Amino acid sequence: MKISYNWLKEYVNFYLSPHELADKLTNVGLVVADIQTVDDDFCLEVEVTSNRPDCLGIIGIGREVVALGGGCLHLPETSVESVNKEISKFVNVLVDDPILCPSYTARVVQHITVEPSPEWMQKRLKCIGLRPVNNIVDITNYVMTETGQPLHAFDLDKLSDKKIIVRKAMSGEEIVAINGARRALFHDMLVIADSKRPIAIAGVMGGKETEVSDSTRNILLECAQFEPRQVRRTSKALGITSDSSYRFERGIDPEGIDYASRRVASLIKEYGGGEVASGVIDIRSGRCETKKITLRMERLHKVLGIEIKRDIASDILKRLQFNILNEETGFKPVSTFVDVEVPSFRGDVYREIDLIEEVARIYGYNHIPTKTSISVRGSIKSKYENVEDCICQYLIGLGYYEVKTFSIVDTSPLQSVNLWSDRGGIDIVNPLRQEESRLRTCLLPSLIDAKRYNVNHGIEQVRIFEIAKVYLAGEKLPLEKTCLSILADTDFLTLKGIVESLLLNLGIFSRYEWSVFSEPRLFVDERAARIQLGDMTIGYIGEASKELGFKTSPCMVELDMDLLVESSNVNKKYNALSQYPHVLRDLAIIVDEEVTWSSIEKCIMDTQALHLKGNNFFDIYRGKQIPAGKKSIAFNLCFQATDRTLKGEEVDAAQQVILDALYKTLGAELRKQ
Amino acid sequence: MINKIDEIKNNLQDEIKSVAAPKDAEQLKMKYLGRKGVINDLMKIIPTLPSEQRASFGQQINSLKIDITNIVEELIKKFSSEAIPKLKKEIFDVTLPGKRPLVGKRHPLTQTIDDIKEVFARLGFDVAYGPEVELEYYNFEALNIPADHPSRTDFDTFYIKNDILLRSQTSTVQIRIMEKQKPPIRIIAPGRVYRPDTVDARHSFMFHQVEGLLVDEGVSFADLKGVLNQFIKTYFGQNVQMRLRPSFFPFTEPSAEVDISCSICGGKGCSVCSYSGWVEILGAGMVDPHVFKAVHYDAEKYTGFAFGMGVERITMLKYGINDIRLFYENDMRFLSQF
Repeated sequence: MKISYNWLKEYVNFYLSPHELADKLTNVGLVVADIQTVDDDFCLEVEVTSNRPDCLGIIGIGREVVALGGGCLHLPETSVESVNKEISKFVNVLVDDPILCPSYTARVVQHITVEPSPEWMQKRLKCIGLRPVNNIVDITNYVMTETGQPLHAFDLDKLSDKKIIVRKAMSGEEIVAINGARRALFHDMLVIADSKRPIAIAGVMGGKETEVSDSTRNILLECAQFEPRQVRRTSKALGITSDSSYRFERGIDPEGIDYASRRVASLIKEYGGGEVASGVIDIRSGRCETKKITLRMERLHKVLGIEIKRDIASDILKRLQFNILNEETGFKPVSTFVDVEVPSFRGDVYREIDLIEEVARIYGYNHIPTKTSISVRGSIKSKYENVEDCICQYLIGLGYYEVKTFSIVDTSPLQSVNLWSDRGGIDIVNPLRQEESRLRTCLLPSLIDAKRYNVNHGIEQVRIFEIAKVYLAGEKLPLEKTCLSILADTDFLTLKGIVESLLLNLGIFSRYEWSVFSEPRLFVDERAARIQLGDMTIGYIGEASKELGFKTSPCMVELDMDLLVESSNVNKKYNALSQYPHVLRDLAIIVDEEVTWSSIEKCIMDTQALHLKGNNFFDIYRGKQIPAGKKSIAFNLCFQATDRTLKGEEVDAAQQVILDALYKTLGAELRKQ
Repeated sequence: MINKIDEIKNNLQDEIKSVAAPKDAEQLKMKYLGRKGVINDLMKIIPTLPSEQRASFGQQINSLKIDITNIVEELIKKFSSEAIPKLKKEIFDVTLPGKRPLVGKRHPLTQTIDDIKEVFARLGFDVAYGPEVELEYYNFEALNIPADHPSRTDFDTFYIKNDILLRSQTSTVQIRIMEKQKPPIRIIAPGRVYRPDTVDARHSFMFHQVEGLLVDEGVSFADLKGVLNQFIKTYFGQNVQMRLRPSFFPFTEPSAEVDISCSICGGKGCSVCSYSGWVEILGAGMVDPHVFKAVHYDAEKYTGFAFGMGVERITMLKYGINDIRLFYENDMRFLSQF
């Protein structure tokens, strides 16, 4: 809200420069975001938080200045000399829905002259960025800025049957608002109507047909209270916001309505030359009760961590216009609490904690000590964090960069790839753009985009990874699965090796299987695999499809991070080192083309040959010397005993056991040089 | 035979004159001193001579050999010293660029989150996580933000269904943790949050926050200041000052915005701090009794504080990054800088 420095000075005496004032206001929670010089005045832009509608009027800000230590508040006089014509002769008001409109007041001013408002008023309105229109409109804006209470003036002669009915809209009704917007109204919206039609959207905006024009002679001044949520809903539904709706939806001072109404009538009498009809129509569904709250000094101490004396706390509340009920006049305070009555304009204060905040705010947050006495507590890293750190360190060491990509993606076929579930992705019902309208089910398309971005910027080769969630349809809430995805300009076996080492690093020694997998949107056919740990899929790996249009196809893998964490074993245990040398035997066997390495390896390990420690694949060969449809596979076997040096004959025997098994199971023959 | 030696000497004199390059000197050396050279030819003559002449002839040959050797060596030296680079000794150049291994980096946002996690871990805070797709209840009602309340304006939200949304703040994790655990509680919760903001240099529809929560008996606003001050000094530097301003968050009371003295201008005022000398970095406050009520905590017995900060904002401040979009473009030239 914009305020004028000179205008504020009319209500409260203070000797602060605009910048000093701005600092003080900022320190009590009214952030002054900007100060502009306007002629001989200053416009201060004050950010008012949504809990403080009382500060949406200059008088309200004046009250804060008073609480800060500046003098007392001077409110303008509002004596309304009225002619002896009863208002009830001019208009009849009916409030149909007292819950949505707890208070409605109307005053009538006759024989006005619509003309430009006085220069001083125009100057002040211009200072805070309001455009002067005419005296009537300017005065209602002026009083709203002053008191925070929105007001509306109707052209009385345009009201059918001189009737005002505050009621729900009827289906089929519509209205053209003052700003020219035509809106269809719905039955749950509150309107101000005359006997025939809606003439205003309650609390949001008046109607065009009954607005004050140059020819207006008689006016009806509306000053009311509307239920905040109702105003907010209607304003949102119609897409119309105004200075009025902004204030009504935050809540106005129910006890300030009459003052604002008198104030606006007296100004119109003075600057619009009219006659104010005597009396006021004031319909309210019951007085709101004054709230009483107790502030315990001990509680204040407990929450703030500083002992503030009772007289100081009580003085702060008094300066904020709280009524102290157990005032102490004696030298020594005896009471351990302060009982207060909350002023009607402070709808946000209704609990003890709210009073504590008020005291702390004015006392000054920066005068509360900075304590370092919280208890000692050790924090423990979770298994997830340990595994994540381990993975990141490993990949960074290999030259991989971590990327971060958006969880919300488009609905293209590529982004719709779902490796983890048969069900569709989760759509956002109110997306900003089609490009970001669905929660992703796979990270790889985003990594592909990141690679493409870099290629377009002259960086051909990337090695990137991301740890983030994919969102899969679930029961009530979706299943959020954390995945680790890697994309790199390497060949399949290099990336596979990285994954294998990664799993070993995490202490996952169990057998995992690699089987051919097909997802043509991501991978080249027959160059992709599903990775399985027992009966659970741990991830998918493959060479990027040619369709993706890269000069050189990168390889990619997506792993189930949650499963990695679950299967990982970070508790390492030392294995005794053998004192005796190992024996390596290099072998080459000839097998059918269809025989996979994994079946050969399984066959070797299944023999449980004596002292066999492991095996290493090193080469595959097809060509001369090898019959068509066959291939030669070279590997070595490692033998070692923990208690002695193995003899050649022992190793020969074990090796023969393995070769026999390979021959029997896979038809493998030892290749003779 | 002596004439033969003199003849050789004469020829040699002429040949020396015609030497113009090291190559010529080498040829000369080969011609006279090589395996099939002139000296060796002379040596072969020795056995054919009468025995009394052999010794003196041998001596003459030897002295001739020494002379020629000296001459030739001198010639070679002379020519090679005439600055012919090809023959100069190789020098190892220590100023050549090193062969750098490829080293990866974590994303700058992760680095910030890790730094924050570490500071708070030392203060005894565990890391907690919560779902990003949330029930409306956890994002709003439980945090004392009722439906149709104007404070909801500050929290525009993406919806999945009527009562399911993408969390607009990590404060949701507060409720999730308090529902599961009894006090004392000390957690920080980093994660992604979402708000329907049109993307520009300052806004992104997805960004990261870190939420903090401490609940125990006897926790006060002064403790909140103590913990935040510790964080700020550790993360931003010992000379950085902290300032608290009253503010409003529905789930804390009293609430505060926390500023730090501007590290760019040292508090004098510059464009980064809008000439105020202060930069806003986080929001905080004492947990509102309504929140405790939602999780069935006794608000008389327990007090606590919560705080929340934007990871992008802190990272941008720390490194002087002026466009939030850079974080999600993943340009290698950007990522490699941190």
